Amino acid sequence: MERSVLDSLGLEIVGVMSPVSICMLFVVLLVSGFTPPTTSADHSSSAQVTAATLVYQESPSDPPSQKLAGAILNAAVFVALVAVVTFVLVVLYYYNYTGFLKAYMRFSAFFVLASMGGSILFSLLRRLSLPIDAPSAILLLLNFSAIGVLSVFSPAVPIVLRQSYMVALAIIVAAWFTKLPEWTTWTLLLALAAYDLVAVLCPRGPLRILVDLASSRDEDLPALVYEARPTVANPPSSSSPFPAASVELQPQTLHSNPNPDHTPDPDANPSPSRSSSISNHADHSVLEIDSIAEETHPLVPTEASRSLPESSRSNRTSSEDLEEMFDTTRGIRLGLGDFVFYSVLVGRAAMYDLMTVYACYLAIISGLGCTLILLSVYRHALPALPISITMGVIFYFLTRLLMEPFVVGTSTSLLMF
Amino acid sequence: MTVAAGIGYALIALGPALSIFVSVIARKPFLVLTVLSSTLFWLVSLIVLSGAWRWFLPVKSTASWPYVVLLVTSVGFQEVVRLVFWKLYKKLEEMLDAFADRTSKPRLFLTDKLLIALAGGLGHGVAHAIFFCLSLLTPAFGRATYYVERCSNMPFFLISAIISLGFSIIHTFSMVIAFNGYAEGRKSDQIFVPVIHIIAAIMTLINLVPSGCVVGVPLLGFSTAVTLQYCWVMVLRRLRDNHGRQTNN
Repeated sequence: MERSVLDSLGLEIVGVMSPVSICMLFVVLLVSGFTPPTTSADHSSSAQVTAATLVYQESPSDPPSQKLAGAILNAAVFVALVAVVTFVLVVLYYYNYTGFLKAYMRFSAFFVLASMGGSILFSLLRRLSLPIDAPSAILLLLNFSAIGVLSVFSPAVPIVLRQSYMVALAIIVAAWFTKLPEWTTWTLLLALAAYDLVAVLCPRGPLRILVDLASSRDEDLPALVYEARPTVANPPSSSSPFPAASVELQPQTLHSNPNPDHTPDPDANPSPSRSSSISNHADHSVLEIDSIAEETHPLVPTEASRSLPESSRSNRTSSEDLEEMFDTTRGIRLGLGDFVFYSVLVGRAAMYDLMTVYACYLAIISGLGCTLILLSVYRHALPALPISITMGVIFYFLTRLLMEPFVVGTSTSLLMF
Repeated sequence: MTVAAGIGYALIALGPALSIFVSVIARKPFLVLTVLSSTLFWLVSLIVLSGAWRWFLPVKSTASWPYVVLLVTSVGFQEVVRLVFWKLYKKLEEMLDAFADRTSKPRLFLTDKLLIALAGGLGHGVAHAIFFCLSLLTPAFGRATYYVERCSNMPFFLISAIISLGFSIIHTFSMVIAFNGYAEGRKSDQIFVPVIHIIAAIMTLINLVPSGCVVGVPLLGFSTAVTLQYCWVMVLRRLRDNHGRQTNN
């Protein structure tokens, strides 16, 4: 029997949507697992000053107008920080400091995985009261982070591992972001969506410059980007990683020297990749390997960790704005920042109710779908945040204000339709 | 009652939908997208409905007629939404066929059409189960459970899970019936769907009577079974027709 049209259609879209869904799922689980023990009172008392709450520290007793003004100020400051960091990155990339960028991103990936991931791990252990001794916990954590750093930057790692570490990074950062106070979260999300729109679509927007620069140099985008493979299409958690991984591994060792990343010289990277991509144009799986080899993805964590050292945990956000999607022969790529902020929205919704979670999830995914459709029309990098975040926020409030009383009312009287 | 109970309730409501998803839908990415968009569609329709009813709720009087009006308007609106969904699907089908012609692949098979209808219905069913049952399940994961006064025989979560199970099956397969009815122009199929929907909704009205759920829930199960049987007979007939036509050619 012949294969029908349906069999392969939409593979790329699902390849992007499933990791996003997995990321959101884990963030929601984390949030709903942690929120019950810490009541809202604890929250405000333990609130630390982060980059996103530099100006105004929200407390539940403030009047709404003050909260709103403070939250808008917070968001403005945060977006300004993000813009500055992105600008610095663009400058560094423009002057070919790719070696520095790469090292920086390694450091920041390690930082995120080890310290932030570690603290999440420990609170998880405490919450589930799992007995584990300190040395083995630390050993496990360090190993986990080390493999993470390797998998993010080294070409010799199976793509599935790399994809799962991308999702893990996004989960960790998003879980931290959900600790922001409520009003600040909402204004921050909206502000970042607007910033994303400007930065990607304006002719002089920093992300636009970055993307143009990368494509003119025939390199990959120097940022943490999730790649959905068109041919292999193994979402990070999919069950059959091995055949795909092995397929990619081999060409990679064949064509490019095992660790192009380690060469600090920026010029060294493009050349092996280009030659290899030419040589094996035929099979797609190979194409992407080269891209991995280059220092492409590192951008995102970088920015984050820059601002980190001081007081702020939340700065990593900044990194994420680089997320645009961009469709080349390699399929769709989605910035890690999109993952993070989608999950932040869903995680915030999870603090209210499960119903808002589902509504926001559907809204975000459909917004992502719309963006992907636009992408296939316009064929250049598009911001992935604006449509999804707007729809998510709208659906959150619609669900909370309109739908919940209705649904709870009817279904507690056991009426359904 | 703990996590196990919560997961159990969730699986009662969503188990069949989950197995359909894993065994049929998840293999074809396009069907996954269909499920998602149909879920969104249903959610939007629910939001519109609740926006319209927001100002009349909660019903103060003890009379049951406001509930009857609510159910009838809701079901009517959802059937209208189904028609809109069908119109959109028609457009999509044309696009897919055009795409198939362009890439010189065969056009949609009958089974493809049925699968798309199934995915669309599954989206509606899943959305129903999620919003009417799953989203209220959070307390079931804790240590306590909850009984409603009108139906003290079973925990509230169990009843709502069973009702959701019925409705998600009805939604799933009535979409198949409806799409087929529209495509073939068979009036009986087209009428069967709203009728079974409204009947099932009215069965839940029996739950308003004290201990009414003892009667209402089995009746709902019965109408679910009728839907399944009808869908089965219809699909079998279509497949046979189709097969016969192919062999004749």
